[in-house]
Amino acid sequence: MLVLTRKLHQSIVIGDQIEVVVLEVRGEQVRLGIKAPKDVTVHRKEIYEQIQEENKSSSNVRPEDIPGT
Amino acid sequence: MTIQGTRFGDIEYSADDVIAFPDGIIGFPDLHSYLLLNHKPNTPFRWLQSIEQPTLAFLVAFPEVLIPEYAPEIDDSVARELQITAETPKLLLTTVSIPAGRPNDMTTNLLGPVIINGATMVGKQVVLQDDAYTVRHRVFQTTEKVAEPTAA
Repeated sequence: MLVLTRKLHQSIVIGDQIEVVVLEVRGEQVRLGIKAPKDVTVHRKEIYEQIQEENKSSSNVRPEDIPGT
Repeated sequence: MTIQGTRFGDIEYSADDVIAFPDGIIGFPDLHSYLLLNHKPNTPFRWLQSIEQPTLAFLVAFPEVLIPEYAPEIDDSVARELQITAETPKLLLTTVSIPAGRPNDMTTNLLGPVIINGATMVGKQVVLQDDAYTVRHRVFQTTEKVAEPTAA
């Protein structure tokens, strides 16, 4: 992993088209701004992983468990 | 056209039934073509069935039936990407999980809904920025335990 230290308002550039900037630092929270092309998705990691898990879980539901009329 | 080998047997469909997901579904980035299948009549549940991977189908629901107050804000960039305006027919679906044998513990993902442009039949699973919504929202509220009367 590449480790870089940034101060408030400094940026990191990834490839030619992605930029991450430190917008605000408040206590333990760091607010980041991300500029990226439309076809690149950017997500908070733990949320993305939770959604992946939920998707997998919903693909394993047994039809007999679904309430019906 | 037919999908063979799904959990529901062989499924006949036409090109008009196909929903395209250019970005796939989160965690399944390489699958781009789905059908929306009915489950039982008169229920809000559907199956988002993969055409490319016949064994894969996500249980989804129309969330406003399960959770009437759910009203996610669609980001402008998503609206532009899917070409959705106020007048565009659209489908809003959320994935549903049910632990085996425990239908009362059903949860639905309100943070990552699936939005489909009903006219172009193009969809996307979006991640909402609103932290008020959770990935595992209980559909049926647990009943409160009645307090036991203390001994006199």
